[in-house]
Amino acid sequence: MTTMRSGLVTNSGRLVAQPLRGEVWPPGGDRHAYRVDADGESFVLPGMGGVTLGVHPGDRATGYASDHLEPGLSIRHREAGPNWALQFLSCIGNRITVRSGPAAGARGVVVGQHAFVLADLTEADLAEVAPGDVIDVLAHGQGLRLDDHPDVVIKNVDPRLLSSLGVHTRDDGRLGVPVTATVPAAAVGAGAGMVSEFANTDLMGAYEGQAADLSLGLEGLRIGDVVALEEQDHRFGRGWRPGWLTVGVISTGHCRLFGHGPGPSSILSGPADAFALVDEPEANVRSAFAAIPQEVPA
Amino acid sequence: MTVIRPAVVATNLSGVVETPELDSSPFRIDADGHPYVPTGDGGIVLGVRLGDSVFATDGDHVAPGACLVHPDQAARHALTSYSCLGNTVTVRSGDAAGSRGVVLGKRGELGRVIACFSREVLARMAPSDEIVVRGHGQGARLEAPIHERGVIMRNLDPAAVALLPVTTDDDTLTASVRAEIPSRVVGNGVGRPVEQWDLDLQVDRDTAPTLGLSDLALGDLVAVTDLDVRHNAGYRRGWRTIGVVVHGASPQPGHGPGLMPLFCGPADALVARVDRSHRGINEDRLLKGTA
Repeated sequence: MTTMRSGLVTNSGRLVAQPLRGEVWPPGGDRHAYRVDADGESFVLPGMGGVTLGVHPGDRATGYASDHLEPGLSIRHREAGPNWALQFLSCIGNRITVRSGPAAGARGVVVGQHAFVLADLTEADLAEVAPGDVIDVLAHGQGLRLDDHPDVVIKNVDPRLLSSLGVHTRDDGRLGVPVTATVPAAAVGAGAGMVSEFANTDLMGAYEGQAADLSLGLEGLRIGDVVALEEQDHRFGRGWRPGWLTVGVISTGHCRLFGHGPGPSSILSGPADAFALVDEPEANVRSAFAAIPQEVPA
Repeated sequence: MTVIRPAVVATNLSGVVETPELDSSPFRIDADGHPYVPTGDGGIVLGVRLGDSVFATDGDHVAPGACLVHPDQAARHALTSYSCLGNTVTVRSGDAAGSRGVVLGKRGELGRVIACFSREVLARMAPSDEIVVRGHGQGARLEAPIHERGVIMRNLDPAAVALLPVTTDDDTLTASVRAEIPSRVVGNGVGRPVEQWDLDLQVDRDTAPTLGLSDLALGDLVAVTDLDVRHNAGYRRGWRTIGVVVHGASPQPGHGPGLMPLFCGPADALVARVDRSHRGINEDRLLKGTA
């Protein structure tokens, strides 16, 4: 049992850390090149895979000429088994280290999951990384439990990040969570029905620059924002369930492909009445990352 | 109802009856975290027929008949894409060689065609039997005034329109449906192309009454509000999608009875009439001529 600065009591002292190896995975294409958007307009746009420059936690998620925007590094392992371990065990806030190429030695932080583990580096370091460069992720966090909130499942988050995000136990026993936005269930797109330790939940209704009848008012989301998803139970997968709530961190940005969009990686899920959401425009991992201690967990 | 066939091309597609697969751990996890061993997920399922409740079995994605696949993934996507409700299926090998069935629908993600056969034929079929689907329907469109109002048709052999409880007047298509549900109920399948992937409705026996789906049966038609499936399935205010239920419920979160879209358009041009006495696709009529 470990009591955090926030007063949250967890089992974090019983969790282990493991270095997991991956590499920066190149963007993929096919010989037909084009995809189509909601209106049937074709596009060929970068964003998914490889090294995507110029977008970091705190920056706008939408409004780019991009599809499936994955900020920073997109990391996987080339073999299936090791890759599932890397995808399932990496957590938001985990440290990464570049192990090969001109940026070898550079340190960064996991922002979330998508088709890859996504990691942020400084813009100067990002400029030196290329697909194929070897990356180590110090995976730490899966298996975390909140002792005072037995109905809430927590996943995909470095234990050291929780306090910095302002997650706390209230006097009434509920879990207080600062969020920038509350997302209606109608926004949930691709990702429904998938496991919640991998990839994220694409949010529709954030097609900035497209027709008003597509909008659910989510164009203002930023990379790294902490958001609440209404009527979503992501404890053991991702499904619509009235009376339940999921909290996530926006890890991907602009999509043109229809039914896709900026997506949160799920971190907390439970009965809606176990939570007390707090409107906080600054609820974003950007500042929380800075507060994470640099040393390797003992 | 008239369907325009702008030189719709038929293709003969090869496939095989699917052999069900499981991972090395037999368990899947349900929405409450309980493990279960999935049964009836693909392959041939006996004893489940069109008109049965989607909640009648304790299986996972149970379909009324046989699932058809192809060993090459690209050919499997094509088999799934071009197969349409009402297409004729011919068995080429095995004890049922020479018998015929009819396509009901399809499933994602790797792609499966769901085909119905008479009880007698299905009892003689086995995994790996070779089949041929006469793929016909993609590219067909509705008569001019309705088409021009933006209503599209997918996954439907023009000859099978007569099997559906739908009518048209000058510029509107109206369908009898079991229920009309909001788009947030649609789970797996959103963001995917409906020519290759059905839409799982996130409903179980407990939540069905609140959605008017307690009596949902295989072969029923269901309408979804604010859903546009023309270029992947996604949220668009004021649009409606109507499809046919092609497989049963699932314990997996985000999954459930599968709806294969047939029509989509602006809600004022594509009308759904919720009908307590709704009858979806009738098995005898679907299989007429295959005996």
